Amino acid sequence: MGIVIAVISGKGGVGKTTTTANIGLGIAMNDKKAVVVDFDIGQRNLDMILGLENRVVYDIVQVMDGEAKMKQALIKSKVNENLMFLAASQTKDKTVLDSAKIKNLVEELKEEFDFVILDAPAGIESGYEHTIEFADAAIIVVNPEVSSIRDADRAIGILDSKSQKVKDGEDVQKHLIINRVNPAMVESGEMLKCDDILDILNVPLLGKVPEDRAIIEASNQGKPVITDNNSEAGKAYKRIADRLCGKDVKIPEFVAKKGGILGLFKGMFK
Amino acid sequence: MFGFLKKKSSANTAKDRLTIAIMSDRESTHYPFMDEMKAEIIEVVKKYIGVKSVDIKKEVVDDVEALSIDVQLDK
Repeated sequence: MGIVIAVISGKGGVGKTTTTANIGLGIAMNDKKAVVVDFDIGQRNLDMILGLENRVVYDIVQVMDGEAKMKQALIKSKVNENLMFLAASQTKDKTVLDSAKIKNLVEELKEEFDFVILDAPAGIESGYEHTIEFADAAIIVVNPEVSSIRDADRAIGILDSKSQKVKDGEDVQKHLIINRVNPAMVESGEMLKCDDILDILNVPLLGKVPEDRAIIEASNQGKPVITDNNSEAGKAYKRIADRLCGKDVKIPEFVAKKGGILGLFKGMFK
Repeated sequence: MFGFLKKKSSANTAKDRLTIAIMSDRESTHYPFMDEMKAEIIEVVKKYIGVKSVDIKKEVVDDVEALSIDVQLDK
């Protein structure tokens, strides 16, 4: 019986889908069976990040409605055969989601996979609530930036009141990923420190991912950045996936690259 | 020089502002079911008398939490 992890954020555009793809692949690289599911009905994106957009035939709504079998809808990753992907529907909207159907779907996936990772839609509306409903754990993705952190806190509040686990009197595990950390800005006091974010949100840290140009390059090519052994973000995702698989991997402190702020700006505007 | 000092403190400013904003979010946060409940209350009251709006607030006094429900009648 696998574990169901919802990847949530509150605010959009913080790197939720990128995180889902990379963690899924990282877990698969640990020889565990993983499936990543796009729950952003109407705004499919995970297929692009995984480079599988041309292989989507059936989507999650068709599986839930019995129009397609799970086997037909699951798409194998190009990079690792332990990773499967289930696409969101592009034509329908999130009002088609229904608790009973989601429960069935999640249960079926749990039977077959060690990790079932659900990519939640942004916001805290019904689509989000459905994604967290049957999750055993949540990974909260934030950027070191005020609106992202505030929205994450609200998303956590809903997680704590609406998930089935909580309603059953159990705890839903929470893990925080701080994404797009810019070490030079943290050092110069222009960006919130990770410790400050942890103090405010009060959720244990799963990992930090530095801002990295390789992420855009990876999404351009449809190859998750974790496959790029030279990228700092890729290495960070690898460590996060290893931790989720039970390995004891330290969370390193990031240091600004030589060239400091000047180097950083060069990097950003090149 | 001044600009540099000002920048240096912006992360701390962010921390202070966030701490306050989140505290107040957590206290005053509407329950997720608030809108649904509002609609249902309106339905019930409507059966008997015209209703203009319903306002529900969570109030915390010491250890006691209460919901105060204001029903504005439609004359």
